[in-house]
Amino acid sequence: MATREASKHATKIVRPLLSSDKSEAKKRVLNLYKTYYRQIPLMLFDRHLPVTKEECQQKLKEEFLKNKHVTDVRVIDMLVIKGQMLLQEIVTKWAQDCHVMSLFKDTVEHKQNDFLSKFINSNDSQ
Amino acid sequence: MFVNMAFNLIKQSGGIAIKKAISSSPSKGLFTAAVRSSKETRGLEKVYEKNEPVLLETDNVIGKTPLMAVQNYIEVADKVDISSLTGVPEEHVKSRLVKISKATKNVMQSGTDNTHNWVMEFDNRERWENPLMGWTSTGDPLSNMKIEFIERADAINFCEKNGWKWYLEAEHKTKPRPKSYAINFSWNKRTRASTK
Repeated sequence: MATREASKHATKIVRPLLSSDKSEAKKRVLNLYKTYYRQIPLMLFDRHLPVTKEECQQKLKEEFLKNKHVTDVRVIDMLVIKGQMLLQEIVTKWAQDCHVMSLFKDTVEHKQNDFLSKFINSNDSQ
Repeated sequence: MFVNMAFNLIKQSGGIAIKKAISSSPSKGLFTAAVRSSKETRGLEKVYEKNEPVLLETDNVIGKTPLMAVQNYIEVADKVDISSLTGVPEEHVKSRLVKISKATKNVMQSGTDNTHNWVMEFDNRERWENPLMGWTSTGDPLSNMKIEFIERADAINFCEKNGWKWYLEAEHKTKPRPKSYAINFSWNKRTRASTK
């Protein structure tokens, strides 16, 4: 392993995306969260989804908490923008039911890591 | 012909509806118009009883505050991690190892062009032979991803930015061997062994 040249800890001066500091970015995130939260009952009214309001709220929280480690203001801003875009897609129904449900990953098979299931699922079984 | 016309009409009216949905009054937010109509027609009050402003205030979320001048600069950590933005699945960020090395020469040719870049490649995942055709298959979306960079530091920065672990492979520098045609006819070297 060579020395990591890029991982020196320092700061740099950049142009902001939207927010000029962390508190502003936080406000945007909370705003987006609230808007999503209020949209959930409307979304369920408009669509026939096999999930309850509580499950949606849980999922919403989960999706936001996924990025709780992010500290860079610009990254937070970009995440907010992407969240806003998705919300717009959901509201205008550009994102269809299947796209909304893909957030729940209900068709994804969980990989099992124990020896036997790995052995049985292996592709070398000719 | 008529079908076509009807289809065009539908397309136009659909377009207008979307435009309306998008460009409703800016003070009320992006989608209030659409929601209001659905409220009236389908008794949405039951679902949403409170009479508070429901929807997207776009400016609230991503609008710029008047305080912030666009020319402002902010200080951020030097190391940027955009792995939460790129949409790359988590298992392909956290569990992958990137090899950064100098591009290799084609062994079938002697030219050394295109060997001056630095290449990043991902570790090999499982491959298997397709039982029907005998082709090689893989389930790994990054298996054929080879990105070339001019500088080594660029490749490293790219990996760091995307949250991938990486390692550097040492560069092999070959010394060009001086070649001369005249040496074939040298009087004191055994380069014409058959005639001496």
